[in-house]
Order: sequence, then structure tokens, then C-alpha cells
Amino acid sequence: MSSFSTWDVIRNLLLSLPWTLFLSAIAFLGGIVLGLVLLILRIMRPNSLGRLITWYVQLFQGTPLLMQLFLTYFGLALLGFNPSPLLAATLCLSFYASAFLTETWHGCVMSIPKGQWEASSSLALNLREQLRYVIFPQALRISVPPTVGLLVQIIKNTSLASVIGFIELTRTGQIITNVTYDPFFVYGTVALMYFALCFPFSMWGRTLERKFDVGH
Amino acid sequence: MNKHSSGLVEIRGLQKSFGTLQVLKGIDLSVGRKEVVCIIGKSGSGKSTLLRCINGLEVFQSGELLVDGVPVKSSDPNAMRALRQKVGMVFQSFNLFPAMSVGNNIMLAPKLVKNMSPGDAKLLAEKLLTRVGLTEKFDSFPHELSGGQQQRVAIARALAMNPEVILCDEITSALDPELVGEVLQVIEALAREGVTLIIVTHEMNFARKVCDRVVFMHQGLVHEVGTAEDIFTSPKTPELRNFISVNHGQRELV
Repeated sequence: MSSFSTWDVIRNLLLSLPWTLFLSAIAFLGGIVLGLVLLILRIMRPNSLGRLITWYVQLFQGTPLLMQLFLTYFGLALLGFNPSPLLAATLCLSFYASAFLTETWHGCVMSIPKGQWEASSSLALNLREQLRYVIFPQALRISVPPTVGLLVQIIKNTSLASVIGFIELTRTGQIITNVTYDPFFVYGTVALMYFALCFPFSMWGRTLERKFDVGH
Repeated sequence: MNKHSSGLVEIRGLQKSFGTLQVLKGIDLSVGRKEVVCIIGKSGSGKSTLLRCINGLEVFQSGELLVDGVPVKSSDPNAMRALRQKVGMVFQSFNLFPAMSVGNNIMLAPKLVKNMSPGDAKLLAEKLLTRVGLTEKFDSFPHELSGGQQQRVAIARALAMNPEVILCDEITSALDPELVGEVLQVIEALAREGVTLIIVTHEMNFARKVCDRVVFMHQGLVHEVGTAEDIFTSPKTPELRNFISVNHGQRELV
């Protein structure tokens, strides 16, 4: 009694698209804020906190995001919280994004020539002023292309949030497939929608990369 | 001010190692106010390291280093901030801030560290740019300037903090030969105006012309010290004689 027309499929997928966008945006913003805090702590306290942060990064880089989602969702439940799939997915993806962003940005900061640190030290600037006025403005320029690249990764990785029952684009596709028994068409459409989301960002990233290359 | 020390920069028994490699093996040196001291020696003799100890870019292991009577303590950020307002530095590779205009390069530290108003900072920067002969470059960016011009901006940037002493670390070594002169002229003018300078250089003729005193370093020690005349015309040690003959030979080839 499948009365799903092609339009119904597309309409339902489109309706779920905002949730994918929402999850991506929150994860990205959360990742930026937390990633920046971690970056600053790592630079200011390279020996104590910096080591811990390196381990934090390794942990997220060395385990599958799927496991991270499971562990956040069920882990929080175990601790007595009862997180909604949205909350668990947002938290987990923010942590995940922060780990990758802080590592990327740390690399950008470390690539600034030593002479810039020495010149600004010699002018009696303190570490905060050095970062704010000399190092970060230069690191920012080189960090934009890889950051946009990570944004694309995050958009695609939100699809994994479907496994903890968060109803976004991929989960909606699964539900529709269960009714229509036409997985190729449904998942094909889902894939196209991800592509339509990510492609403009990829292009934008490439433009930025070229722009910053010329500037150097 | 502390009266017991005679010199502006007092160095006693300074030792510095990188890992197991001892670079400075007990340096004694005193630099007076308004004095211009050149440090010469082979590469690897420790001259740059010595210079970098004076403003705390390198941490030394033992000995004493006083600037204006105050011991250099690299572990104390407040002490370092005070020290670095008294000690300016100009580098071999200029190290201008590439994202900032020439004017902002010069105004940054006075505004942040000395809380100078933007108006005063601008006047100061314009005055200093005129002093190094670059009046019209206020709004240019470093990459638009020649090496010699960039280095002159770097000198103006160091002067903007009104330091007691300026350290010059091989400031002409990265320049094309035809640009060396304009930078050395600026330094010469500073010397005439009574700015205290400690200069690590390979420009023997410049050292001879400008310096009150020349320090020859060899294998991590001060090997010979004297007036420019003494050092270049009557070197006492074979190491210095050898160094001078080699370097003068090179200059004639250029």
C-alpha cells in the first residue's frame, strides 16, 4: 500500500534537510568555540594542559566517529542523564570538530616563522598581545581553506547521527526506504542533497586557497 | 637606578649551552652608555647567541647579565616586559609583521606596551620614518619594500620604544650588496646621535669606521677586545690575525 509518490519522497527528504543543516551549524560553531579555547590553552600552557589537549585530539582522531556517537549517547544515559538524540549528537560532533579544528589551527600557528615571535617578543609584547596582534592574524589567513574543508567533513559526518536515532537527512532516507522499498532512488537523492550542500563550500574553499596563495 | 654597575650592559661569567654543546663559555663584557660596540668572529663563535641573551631571546645557564643595573630574569614575564622596553633588537631577516602597514608595524608596540595614544603614536612613527629616510612609506606594506627599506623600517620600529640600547644581529647579511650601504648609513647616524649599540657584523670596514670598541669572539669566549684601530691594525692573537686576513681578503674580492 505504498502510496509514496516521487514528490513525496523528495518533499520528505527536503523537510529533513534543515535538521542536517542545524546539526552541522551547531557542531561547527561549538567546534570553533571549543577549538579556539583549546588552541589558546595549548599555546599558553604547552607543557601541562597542552599535553592533555594533544591526547584529547589523538582520542578523537584515533577512534571512529560512530563509536564516539554511541559512547556519548549511551555514556550520558549511564551517568543518569537522559540525552535526546539531538543533544548527544550536537555534543559529540562539537567535541569531534573541536579536536580536528584545534589540531589544524595549531599547525597553522606553528607554521608562522619563528622570527615573528622573536620580533614581537623583542618589542616587549606579552604572549596575549603577540597572539592577538601578530600571530593569529597571519595564522587566520592560512587556516581558512583547511577550516572550510573540515566544515564539509562535518556536514557529511552528521549522517552518522542517524544511528542514535536523530532524524536528519540520512535517517529520513532510511525510514522512507522502509516504506517504498526503493533504496537506490531514495539514497541516490539523499546523496545528491549532501552533494548540493557540500559542493558550494568545497568550491568556496578552493577559491579561498587560490586567493591566499596569490597573497603570499 | 642601581649605581654599583658601571656599564649599561654588564655581563659576567655568562655561560650558555644548547644541549651538550656549550656555546658561551664564560663571557665578561661591559658596555657603557652611548657606546657603540661591534662583535666580530667566525660563525659559530657565539656572537649571535650572546646578543640574544641580552634581551632574553636565549636563556643562559649561569653567570650574570645586568641591563641598567637590573638582572635579566627570563622566567619572570613582568621583568622581561620591562627589560625589552630598554633593549631593542634588529634582526638579520627584518621580521616585519607582513599583515600590517609600515606605520602599524612601528606604532603597535608603543600603543600596546607604552599606552601611547593613536595620535602620538602616528606622530612618532612619522618622525622615525623620516629619520630612516622613508617618510612616504607610512601606508606601504612590507612586501612592497626592498630589503634595505624593510630593514630601515625594522630599525624605526625598534627606535619607537625609545630603548636604552639597540642590538643589531647581522642586519645586513640578508641584503643584496647594493642595499647594504643605506642600512649602515642609518646605523652610523644613530651612533653619531649617541644611541648605545651592540652590533654583530661581518662588515669589517663598517666596524672599523663606526665602533668605539670591537670585541673578537672565538670558540665561545671573548678572545680580544680593543678599539677598532687596535683590533684591525695590531691584532695580538694569531686567531684574530687569521680572522682579519681571511675577511679582508674576502672584501677585496667583492
